[in-house]
Amino acid sequence: MDKQKIAGDKVPALPDLFQGEAGGVRLRSARCGTCGTCFFPEYHEQHRPGCSREGVEKILLNRIGKLASYTVQHYMPPPPFRTEKDITPYPIGMVEFPEGIQVVGIMVDYKEDDLVLGREVETTTFTLYRDDKGQEIVTWAFRPKAH
Amino acid sequence: MRNVSIIGVGLHPWGKFPQNTFVELGVQAVANALQDANIKWQEIQAIASGIYIWGGNAGHISGQYLAAVFGETGIPIINVYNACATGAAALRTAYMSVASGQVDVALAVGVDISPEGFLSAKSDNPRQDRDVLRWRMVGMPNPAFWALECRKRMHKYGTTAEDLARVKVILSQYGVLNPNARYRKAYTLEQVLNSPMVNDPLRLFEICATSDGAAAIIVCAADKAAQYTSQPVNIAACTMGSAIYGDPTIRISALSAPAKAEAPMLSESYSASQQAYRIAGIGPEDVDVLELPDNSSWHYLQYLETCGFCGEGQAEQMVREGQTQIGGKVAVCPSGGFSSFGEAIGAQAVWQVVEAVTQLRGQCGPRQVKNAKVAMAQTYGLMGNSATTILTV
Repeated sequence: MDKQKIAGDKVPALPDLFQGEAGGVRLRSARCGTCGTCFFPEYHEQHRPGCSREGVEKILLNRIGKLASYTVQHYMPPPPFRTEKDITPYPIGMVEFPEGIQVVGIMVDYKEDDLVLGREVETTTFTLYRDDKGQEIVTWAFRPKAH
Repeated sequence: MRNVSIIGVGLHPWGKFPQNTFVELGVQAVANALQDANIKWQEIQAIASGIYIWGGNAGHISGQYLAAVFGETGIPIINVYNACATGAAALRTAYMSVASGQVDVALAVGVDISPEGFLSAKSDNPRQDRDVLRWRMVGMPNPAFWALECRKRMHKYGTTAEDLARVKVILSQYGVLNPNARYRKAYTLEQVLNSPMVNDPLRLFEICATSDGAAAIIVCAADKAAQYTSQPVNIAACTMGSAIYGDPTIRISALSAPAKAEAPMLSESYSASQQAYRIAGIGPEDVDVLELPDNSSWHYLQYLETCGFCGEGQAEQMVREGQTQIGGKVAVCPSGGFSSFGEAIGAQAVWQVVEAVTQLRGQCGPRQVKNAKVAMAQTYGLMGNSATTILTV
């Protein structure tokens, strides 16, 4: 089985950024075993000055984080952003994970009063478009945590 | 290191000029600077030049293209790139050429042409270019990054929609008076608050556009400046800064930021300005004119704090009290700012210094800051690029 595939026929628009787990979708990050710096994506390495950069290990971020900020975007960005239809207005959230990192992503399945800083959100996917084979091409996304 | 003065400045007005090339814009700015300095082209001993990314290979060697028009003389030509701080890198390179004693007179040029609308990714390899990720996976134009920080600020300090709109009102009243500005219309608070939402909480009139433009500066050893001008402007500091580990700001292009702050926000600009204060022996309390990078209303507020013009969370109050206007504690962007000019990425850092020079010479007419003796130009660029120039007369 193609390990890049996540639940169902969904295919990430770009590889190595997130994966489906039994417990849900999780972002792929990495942490330096020496300086403790956590970075995303796992291939954009960052370290504390002077770090020997030894012992970097790949980790999966917690599925749940807290909304640290958000913006509601009122127009469609140009290519290479691609969606099936105009999705505006759509929120982009900045989510703080317990691993000590904040990550941005599109927000889905929300009501207006869910857009409150500090609110718990969970990682999920958002279908950008379907390719020629009918496969759903997805990115990671955040939605309010089910109560 | 020798003292260095600015003896000539020149601009091509800001706007959209789809029929023109970057060479044409740059030539006009350089010709104006040569005339302003009353100096012959053949007396220029070094050139530092830069543009953003729409010039193709020609843009990477913009200095050579410009020199060909005026006549090639064999001098060193250095082409620089530091995103929105590109012009500052050109100025610093020209400044260092003179300060080091290698040459007596050098030229710094920043030029730009850009397409309409949002900037977007120019490569397709996500492993080496963060831009690919932010566009393809999240669809994030630059104002989205600014809006995320703006929302945090509102949550932390109670910044209001009126506070954000007020910045545009102040800047637009100066833009009206600047013949080189692209947008020359004064707005009321109500008009700004009624402009379309772009990236909530930031509205259309609260973020800057992308423009075309060009700016040039001629620097000279201070002890030789009198040969050319009766109004030399001293460069008290010309520094550049990059980001510091642990900066919590979500930086344009990045998809993540540390949750725990171990460095100041906008640490690249904190670094550049602190270096400049130390070198110049001048502090924010001494500055009469400040050109800061008002990419959005959030930047205007945040930069007042980043560069030490007020304490944390106090920028809104400073603006409400009129302390950032001409006649206040420090005149902030009496040029009209990016808000009135738009970003001409490779050119804007040079332009900011040109505006500061014009103020110190007392040539700004109805938007002149009275008795201006110290001016500061603060620049900011993508991926941790910043520069500070402090000028005195």
